Amino acid sequence: MTIEPADLATLLPDFLVRQRWYGASDLELAGVEISAFEVWREEWPSLIWVLVDARFGDDTVARFQVPVGLRPLDQTERFLEGKGRSMLGDVDTPDGPALVYDALVDPELALAFLRQIAPDEPVERVRSLNVEQSNTSVVYDERLIMKLFRRLAEGPNPDVEVTEGLARVGFTHISAPVATWRRDGIDLAVVRTFLEAGTEGWQLALTSLRDVYGSRLDPAESGGDFAPEACRLGQITAEMHLKLADAFGATDGEPKIWADSMVANLSRSRARALDAPAIAAAYDALRSIGDPGKSIRIHGDYHLAQTMRTDAGWFILDFEGEPALPLEERRKPSSPLRDVAGMLRSFQYAAEVGLAERGGAAEDDELRALGLRWEQHVSDAFRQGYFDTEGIDTLLPATERDRETVLNAFILAKAVYEIGYELAHRPEWARIPLEAVSRLVDSSRG
Amino acid sequence: MGGPIDFNDSRWFQRAVFYEVLVRGFNDATGDGTGDLKGLTEKLDYLEWLGVDCLWLLPFYQSPLRDGGYDISDFFTVLPAYGDVKDAANLIDEAHRRGMRIIADLVMNHTSDQHPWFQESRQSRDGEKSDWYVWSDDDTRYSEARIIFVDTETSNWTFDPVREQYYWHRFFHHQPDLNFDNPAVQDAMLDVVRFWLDMGLDGFRLDAVPYLFERDGSNGENLPETHDYLKRVRQTVDAEFPGRVLLAEANQWPADVVEYFGEDDECHMCFHFPLMPRMFMAVRREQRYPITEILAQTPAIPEGCQWGIFLRNHDELTLEMVTDEERDYMYTEYAQDPLMRRNIGIARRLFPLIDNDRRIAELFYALLFSMPGSPVMYYGDEIGMGDNIYLGDRDGVRTPMQWTPDRNAGFSKADFAQLYLPPLMDPVYGYQAVNVEGETRNPSSFLHWLRRMLAVRREHPVMGVGALEVLSTENPSVLAYLRRSAGESGKEDIVLCVNNLSRFAQPVELMIPQLAGKIPVETLGRVPFPAIGELPYFVTLPPYGFYWFTLHEPGLDQ
Repeated sequence: MTIEPADLATLLPDFLVRQRWYGASDLELAGVEISAFEVWREEWPSLIWVLVDARFGDDTVARFQVPVGLRPLDQTERFLEGKGRSMLGDVDTPDGPALVYDALVDPELALAFLRQIAPDEPVERVRSLNVEQSNTSVVYDERLIMKLFRRLAEGPNPDVEVTEGLARVGFTHISAPVATWRRDGIDLAVVRTFLEAGTEGWQLALTSLRDVYGSRLDPAESGGDFAPEACRLGQITAEMHLKLADAFGATDGEPKIWADSMVANLSRSRARALDAPAIAAAYDALRSIGDPGKSIRIHGDYHLAQTMRTDAGWFILDFEGEPALPLEERRKPSSPLRDVAGMLRSFQYAAEVGLAERGGAAEDDELRALGLRWEQHVSDAFRQGYFDTEGIDTLLPATERDRETVLNAFILAKAVYEIGYELAHRPEWARIPLEAVSRLVDSSRG
Repeated sequence: MGGPIDFNDSRWFQRAVFYEVLVRGFNDATGDGTGDLKGLTEKLDYLEWLGVDCLWLLPFYQSPLRDGGYDISDFFTVLPAYGDVKDAANLIDEAHRRGMRIIADLVMNHTSDQHPWFQESRQSRDGEKSDWYVWSDDDTRYSEARIIFVDTETSNWTFDPVREQYYWHRFFHHQPDLNFDNPAVQDAMLDVVRFWLDMGLDGFRLDAVPYLFERDGSNGENLPETHDYLKRVRQTVDAEFPGRVLLAEANQWPADVVEYFGEDDECHMCFHFPLMPRMFMAVRREQRYPITEILAQTPAIPEGCQWGIFLRNHDELTLEMVTDEERDYMYTEYAQDPLMRRNIGIARRLFPLIDNDRRIAELFYALLFSMPGSPVMYYGDEIGMGDNIYLGDRDGVRTPMQWTPDRNAGFSKADFAQLYLPPLMDPVYGYQAVNVEGETRNPSSFLHWLRRMLAVRREHPVMGVGALEVLSTENPSVLAYLRRSAGESGKEDIVLCVNNLSRFAQPVELMIPQLAGKIPVETLGRVPFPAIGELPYFVTLPPYGFYWFTLHEPGLDQ
């Protein structure tokens, strides 16, 4: 069964603005235009693959991928219960009225979709993941995961590019690419191995913190000590950087450019409480270091929730880069220490979220001190695992002093970015990066 | 339980629960302060009531007892303090009458230096037994073999002033290694095997098997010659005593241990050593990865074989098998954890290791009874006995079994001073608080709980023979897995096990759409749970909680 593209076009605007992956809620949607319309399955339930161009009030255009499904309106399907957000609406077809909906919520169509883009993979069962950001993920047989890109960008998707590059040079601690679906150089969807029995690093860190806060023991003495895991995570991180250098090359680091960009971000910061001169001084220290180490393709948005513990050790996910940056920025090489900084910042957030879980515990000085100790202890272990990895010194500043200067600058820059983000979205959390900044500034004053 | 044994069942060990007994410490029938075979025989009714399938006896042979009886000075004689060969035969018969089997420790690698074989061998360089041990004019050969007891031995060679030559020993210097290159030694050991199997023993736990042979330029462990000889032992057993079992103690990494199964033509069973410390670590870390990681690294074994798994035994919590694995998990974990480090090299019992927390003890047994392998319990752990670390060496976990709150824990009528070791008397673990009599009378005791678990496990042979499938869950504190095997009537036998390794209550969503439509029924209470659907199956667990579910077709229970 099929419908007219024009009928679909009338349903799309309301649908688009309701999606979490829409990501343009601050712009006025001036109109939509269907730029691709292919019927992949004629019989009920029907499957139509659609690309739609959304034109905004400022004349910019974004292209979205929206596979839609059709079922007779009088058949109520259980999988549609509670999925109001995924409904486009009713249309008339030659076979009677039909319901139009996001095809990926329909198990039958999700299977049909995979058969279309990865015909060699026999699959039987499907499960959607309850996370929607810039893409939609579906798990097949607990063995494969398909990631469908929603808002399409010109040029290669960084996650696809980096994952394929790492697989090519034999880095196995990623969700391995199985099939990539692209047209005209644009990545539309990828199919990868699903990391079975995996736990997000973020969850594992919170498990550790609950034990520390619950037992009120020093993190090194508590049963849930996270340091050995953090040490192994540091090793895998270093191995990832070495493989990234293999896959995408390494050039000499450019500390002046790093510093310029940090200073520019600082001057845009809305946080009045910041000691801007002290921070700028830490950035400027970059300009005078002897050896900045290498610039390589990096993860770019590295934190605990991008890692997964499995029976085969740590895995690293989601190489999209920092989502707030434009595509070209995200693909630019930088110091591997920027990823290290990202992870170290993540440890502080984990300690704070663990405290926040305990309600009034934020006022409990003993617990606060334990949280700090946990962050320090885990950070030390992560750094040890990272810096002790064989070969990683080829990518890093030669002296420990330069290494710390670069790392501190990136930690500060990350925290300054976080302050801006928190003030805009979650002001009550801004305290966390603010505290980190003052800690770093104090320690650099010695 | 009870009833005669089916001696045609050659795979019995795959479903059996083993119980490790220290004869010296179990029950003293003669009143001399030391446990004996007669005393053990008196307690068979208790072991039958408990529900164990096979006893494993620590060495009971003639010995100077410089290494807990592992230094044997006559393979054909029982240590007089334990009784005589007639007592052993009677014990075996009585156990069989109650449906229980018995295996015993056998040390093939070495003997005591008091053994007549060694005494004859040291007398001359060209006598009949001169080549029964490994002699050398200097102490430099086989230098690549590590010294196992580094605390007490400085070399694997010791000079014998009588023969004026060095003899080879992988363990203590008073335990010379037999020379298995000598066919006469190989035959003599087979005669030992025949002697005891002929009496009715159901098999052996083979002590320290990796070290039988020595070769230049090798570390002397797991040599092909060793495997060849073990295959010969197996052939002898299969041909002359079908249905008996060989259980190897090879304290090695699982990938190396599987060599001892051969192609089901070597040992029937091997101990799985790394699983035990990792179970402790998983509960300490409140996450499943220490366990699932080692399970993922454990190779498949031949169909007719089985792992032996345990929580504690008569030895210390050992890290022997991981010292060479530099990047290994346990090395990193232990090196950084003061509490675990303290316990290395110290023999502890289960309950003191877990601070006497009954919830953790129940979780540990739930894990032990549902993991792939045949569980081996240690005497006294079923009542939650403690240890006495001040007794030194490994005696701390070898104190007398605590039967009653009466004198000497009901273990012996001897004078207290005459006991081989004092029973525990501290207020928490002492025999007045922890004993079989008290726990038998208290229906909510740990002993009764354990007995119920053994009964439930017996109903589900899949726990012994089924494949293991770890389920994907996002909550790291929850370890969930399926045990499944083709059932007897062709219907698949499945048990779903869900364990909370955390001291906090935990939720978990299990991804088991392949089981949609089935009704989980909890095995201890037979309570049906909501049917499994296409969506993730949601279960909540109390602290250290666990469930074993059998899976039923809907409608069967109405």
